Amino acid sequence: MTWLVWRQYRAQAATVFALLAVFAAVTLVGGFKVASHWHSMLVACSGHSACLQQQPPLVSGTVVDALLVLGLIVPAGLGTLWGAPLVGHELESRTTDFAWAQSVTRMRWLAVKVGWLLLAAAACGGAISALVTWWSGPNNALQANAFLPGQFDIQGIVPVGYAVFAVALGIAAGTVARRTLPAIAVALGGFVALRLVIADFLRPHYTAAVTTYYNVTGSFTPPGSAWLFSQGAVSRTGQVVLAGWGDLYPALPAACRTLLPASAGQTPKSFSMNAVFSCMQSHGWRGFATYQPASRYWTFQGIETGIYVLLAAALIAATFVIVRRRDA
Amino acid sequence: MRTAIRTYELSKRYRRVSALTECTVTVPEGRVSALIGPNGAGKTTLLRMLAGLASPTGGTASVLGGTPRQDPAFLAEIGFLAQEIPLYRRFTAEDHIRIGGHMNPRWDASLARTRLAEMRIPLEQRMGTLSGGQLAQVALALTLAKRPRLLLLDEPVAALDPLARRNFLVTLTSAVADAGGDLTVVLSSHLVTDLERVCDHLILLAGSRVQLCGDIDTLLAEHKVLVGPREDTAPIERTHTVVQTVAAARLSTWLVRLDGQVSDPAYQAEDVGFEELVLAYLGAHEASAGKDLTTIGEDS
Repeated sequence: MTWLVWRQYRAQAATVFALLAVFAAVTLVGGFKVASHWHSMLVACSGHSACLQQQPPLVSGTVVDALLVLGLIVPAGLGTLWGAPLVGHELESRTTDFAWAQSVTRMRWLAVKVGWLLLAAAACGGAISALVTWWSGPNNALQANAFLPGQFDIQGIVPVGYAVFAVALGIAAGTVARRTLPAIAVALGGFVALRLVIADFLRPHYTAAVTTYYNVTGSFTPPGSAWLFSQGAVSRTGQVVLAGWGDLYPALPAACRTLLPASAGQTPKSFSMNAVFSCMQSHGWRGFATYQPASRYWTFQGIETGIYVLLAAALIAATFVIVRRRDA
Repeated sequence: MRTAIRTYELSKRYRRVSALTECTVTVPEGRVSALIGPNGAGKTTLLRMLAGLASPTGGTASVLGGTPRQDPAFLAEIGFLAQEIPLYRRFTAEDHIRIGGHMNPRWDASLARTRLAEMRIPLEQRMGTLSGGQLAQVALALTLAKRPRLLLLDEPVAALDPLARRNFLVTLTSAVADAGGDLTVVLSSHLVTDLERVCDHLILLAGSRVQLCGDIDTLLAEHKVLVGPREDTAPIERTHTVVQTVAAARLSTWLVRLDGQVSDPAYQAEDVGFEELVLAYLGAHEASAGKDLTTIGEDS
């Protein structure tokens, strides 16, 4: 049975392996350059972050930067090329009548095919992610942006979950539609839609965000690659003014308001933001920052991967039920 | 004599449509059975249920002593070839032979290679490039390489030209001869003369029901064409079952299933041919189905 899978997919396997090899070569060459650049920056700045921030950008404009998009596209590609035809094309071309007429039960046929393809998808996703994660190390350290969409989604273990889910979705869609083309559409559309929904609406809430309060006269930056949701000042009565201070004026106590220009035309003689902050503090205002701490990075990676793997498992289970009940 | 296939009121409904209704048939081991019926009569449904690919919604089936099921031991005994000749278009015959070797316990790869070589079918050419006749031969060779005890063939020659059809049937009959009574075949087709040449058993389906089932020699002996005076059908209908009546100016002919001898000297009894028998039953079914339709029309 495994031999049938190998015969069916060996050409694709060779292609994917070749593409991965090229990607690995490009990433390794570029990655070592980035790493040595980063090392020289560290030496020059002896670790002071202000100095590091003033250095020329580390990665933008490199070839690999563009290749990173691969991390986003590859799962969708696997879902359409491997997932959708797995059952869909065999039903469409009636080759199931050949496969199911051998001395192998339908369930075993499906289990072996699905098993190998999911394994291959996970390996693909893992290999690309490993390279991208390694390559992104210095950039993450500099930018402290590991949680950002576009960074979070292509590093760590989530790409494995995406790849497995996309292939499972393709398989299930092909089994229901019994044809390849509609299955491709569903796999592609479903994957992109779910990725957007989860990244935009679900991911920020995997764990309750932390809010840190500080003196409004001081400043605060969450340590490391934290995911900052909002920052600003909050009054004793709970009135919130976000950083940027756009709507600060009407919110201020009357005493502090006199320190600010009421409009562009009227400028107080000695305008000082520090004086305003001091005034705010004396009226009970505090600075606040709401964020997911950097230490939760792997928790988030784990939760997101878990969601996709569970959804994939549900889709595969449904596929088995449909194939078992189906009258060939 | 052992039975290869025994079904009892086997039925299959797809939502509201009945594909096969209370089908009771018996095929003894070693027979080559012709499965005949109009399109939509339930031939494919019956074959797929016997192969364990579809499950019945009613009745029972016993195939080679067991219920058709998804079980490697059962599947190994059955050679099933679907109507569309389902082969992987991008694979060669050799690929298929090797796949079969990995998926079957009793696979006879050299048998398949020898048969294909005899027919000069290239082993290393993709299926998509072969002719319909060659495809059918490859599919049959693969099905036989499985060394099944029951061969279920669903209209395998329907799309073939006469020569390819004859070659296919020659391969089939020689396989049956080689097996020496251990191989049972059910072959569905619309081509009655082809079937007459290779089959010794008949299952006739129409309107999702069995119309006739048995050994062809016995069936032919049981049926006669009677020719007699037009007006008087009562004596015939009293003793025999009339399948079909053709009324002419003064004489009528009846195709009847005999129950005892034809003793009345007014009637002349003639032997029935295979094709005549099949057409009589199909025609009779169509006529009665037509009557049903009229009745429904009148009711509403």
